[in-house]
Amino acid sequence: MDFLFTLLARFLEAMFVIGLLGSLGVLLVSFVEDAETLFDMEDSSHS
Amino acid sequence: MSTFSPPTAPGSNRVRIVVATSVMLTFISYWRAAAIVLNDLASSAYYACGIAEQAVGKSAPWFIVGVMLFSFTVRAVYVESCSMFVRGGVYRVVKEALGGTLAKLSVSALMFDYVLTGPISAVSAGQYIVGLVNEVIVTADAHGWIPGAIHNIFHGTPQFDVNWTSVVLALAVTIYYWWENIKGIHESSEKALWVMQITTVMVVILLGWSGFTLFKSGFQRVPLPTPANLHFSKESLGFLYHRFPGQSLPQMFGVLGILIAFGHSVLAMSGEESLAQVNRELAHPKLKNLKRTAIVIALYSFIFTGVSALLSVMLIPDAVRVPVYKDNLIAGLAMYMWGPQLLRLLFRGFVVVVGFLILSGAVNTAIIGSNGVLNRVSEDGVLADWFRLPHRKYGTSYRIINLIVGLQVFTILASRGNVYSLGEAYAFGVIWSFAFKGLAMLVLRFKYKGERGWKVPINFHIGGYEIPFGMASVTMVLLAVALMNLFTKSVATVTGIAFSVVFFVIFTLSEVANKKKTALSDRHMNDQFQLLQRDTVDRQSLGIHRGNILVPVRDYNTLTHLHWTLEKIDTLEQDVVVMSARISRFGAAAYDLAPEQIFSDYEQTLFTRATAVAESFGKTVSLLVVPAGDVWTAIVQTANNLESSAVVAGVSSKMTTQEQAFNLGRAWEALAEPKRQFVFQVVHPDSEVDTFRIGPHSPSMKDEDVLLLHRLWLNITREPGLEKLHHHEILTEALTRFAHDYGARDREDILKELRRVSAEDSGGPRPEAMNPPPGPVVRRESDDGPPAGRSN
Repeated sequence: MDFLFTLLARFLEAMFVIGLLGSLGVLLVSFVEDAETLFDMEDSSHS
Repeated sequence: MSTFSPPTAPGSNRVRIVVATSVMLTFISYWRAAAIVLNDLASSAYYACGIAEQAVGKSAPWFIVGVMLFSFTVRAVYVESCSMFVRGGVYRVVKEALGGTLAKLSVSALMFDYVLTGPISAVSAGQYIVGLVNEVIVTADAHGWIPGAIHNIFHGTPQFDVNWTSVVLALAVTIYYWWENIKGIHESSEKALWVMQITTVMVVILLGWSGFTLFKSGFQRVPLPTPANLHFSKESLGFLYHRFPGQSLPQMFGVLGILIAFGHSVLAMSGEESLAQVNRELAHPKLKNLKRTAIVIALYSFIFTGVSALLSVMLIPDAVRVPVYKDNLIAGLAMYMWGPQLLRLLFRGFVVVVGFLILSGAVNTAIIGSNGVLNRVSEDGVLADWFRLPHRKYGTSYRIINLIVGLQVFTILASRGNVYSLGEAYAFGVIWSFAFKGLAMLVLRFKYKGERGWKVPINFHIGGYEIPFGMASVTMVLLAVALMNLFTKSVATVTGIAFSVVFFVIFTLSEVANKKKTALSDRHMNDQFQLLQRDTVDRQSLGIHRGNILVPVRDYNTLTHLHWTLEKIDTLEQDVVVMSARISRFGAAAYDLAPEQIFSDYEQTLFTRATAVAESFGKTVSLLVVPAGDVWTAIVQTANNLESSAVVAGVSSKMTTQEQAFNLGRAWEALAEPKRQFVFQVVHPDSEVDTFRIGPHSPSMKDEDVLLLHRLWLNITREPGLEKLHHHEILTEALTRFAHDYGARDREDILKELRRVSAEDSGGPRPEAMNPPPGPVVRRESDDGPPAGRSN
């Protein structure tokens, strides 16, 4: 039982760490795109 | 009299109904869309950090900041789904990717999220109000302002029981919004924008004053989010506490502790689903504006929720932060600013007022959102039609609203005002609906190879295959947190699973029952009606002429206006179109509906009654169903497209005829050019008619005004050189002078006089007199009947 729990825990940890690293990449790449989108105000629709 | 001849399909006697499939909406800017989403998302700033700190200890703000940063990536998943489906909500996306069973499960989790959004927001608002009232009483007592007699009654300083008083306030707010939703009062995006403007003022003061306080008084360090700094309570370990009693899991597993803490902070990003719901109403260019909305909400919530969480631990002393301010942390922050106590107390009052506005807005959003989701699944045959039957008076889906609010009231009472328990349960719904969403979007990357408006970044190409690394990463985090929460949130897991299973069973049983019923009603409908699907509404699709009469119908019990129209109109000379608007408001987490969904059982009954009325007069009517965001936009767009000369409606149960005309006038003003004027007639149950003109038009003049004009003309034309003057030239000169005076010094005098004249005219102030309509709407012209005339 302990072995199964440890296995599950390590699996979740691995998912979490890899996922966080990948998400950090997504965050950095989308920051650049976000800045472009946000400051390109040519056809914005304020009201 | 001619015999009844409704438009029929060639070679059959079935009634033909044109079903428009493009929804008629009023579009909103990305600022307004962001305000609507932030009313839900930013409200979690008021309770998220307090809950997280109770669960994981003093380093909680770092996890809130981490979750807010991670929310940028979840937002990216929503942008991709909305670029694929106009309404990329959980139900649609999961159904498309993973099938009906998992879609029902994901909607159950989403419903759990929605049902808890209301109670946690309402109870939290209550906590802030009661906290302020108790603080004011304590301050008043310290100054000796509480009479001794009251002291004696309460055996000390009088104080409200925080939790139970919060429950009472939460119930009051929930019941208020229940009644508003039953009546169908639509909260405008203007109100959401206004709430966010006030909130922004508060956030700016909060951050500025906190910065000043940090500079003047210093601060305490927020421990870094390392396993050594995590201090889990018994409740925050859930089932793991029983598995490893007395052991320190963070030290045992390291990263696992970080994962557990992250799971306890995840509720800070609740509300992303609202992004999918406002997407449909975003103005052109939709994708760009969606991205801007997403950026604004992510930045705003990061600054408000993330930074205020850090500041609360930096400025509020440990001795009082959790014991006193755990459920009203921002109020505590206000009390530990640098400055005089009265000023701090006033600012705390401002924090509470803003908190009440934003949190009560979230209560309403929860009711609207869950009503929309259940309506959507009901339209898909997953929930029995019984739930969707409209209220007899207000036409709203009151049974669904009653069910949701009933569950929310039960939750508020069961929580006994404990925000922590509510927050723990809330996180279950939030993370599982996100996890389903992420998984479904990941599956769709492989299942649906078509073009997307936008993709979550970091995609590798290996051997002609695309590897969605970014999407997979976000999904892995969501799934890991969701699975971990199953072990650490025991109460949430039990209640969440029980709730989801009950909803899943209801959905499944309803679906089975509906399939049988649908087969029968389909046969019945196929015998009686033929649905003609059209993208847009125009005269050609209905086979009618210009100058027709449009008759909107909603309630099959009140068709007096259709009777009145058919009495007056010879349908051989002028076409009559009976229209039903299928309203799909913000909150309906759906996208385009199939014609069979737009033309549901209710519409069948409605049109059966309408055709029976036409039959009783032996006259022809055309039948039309349009999906729409709001009824006024639907009417004016349809009238404009069909080049109708008149719209004939019944009296609303919710507003006066003047208000009906005002709303129609406003929708007309928002219509894009080219647009046509038309007459709007409202028929009372006693067949009295109020007539209005929609759009600019020649005003109807009173006899005495015509006489005055004529007398002036007689006098002026006696003057040398003015013998050939026309009446209209006198009016032009008079109006030019009036406009000059109105724009200059006499504005107030003119307005005062006009108010007097208007009051005398109507025997009292009319709604349009108190609240001038944007469109030039003129009241009561003629009650003779709809304007006649056909032209091709």
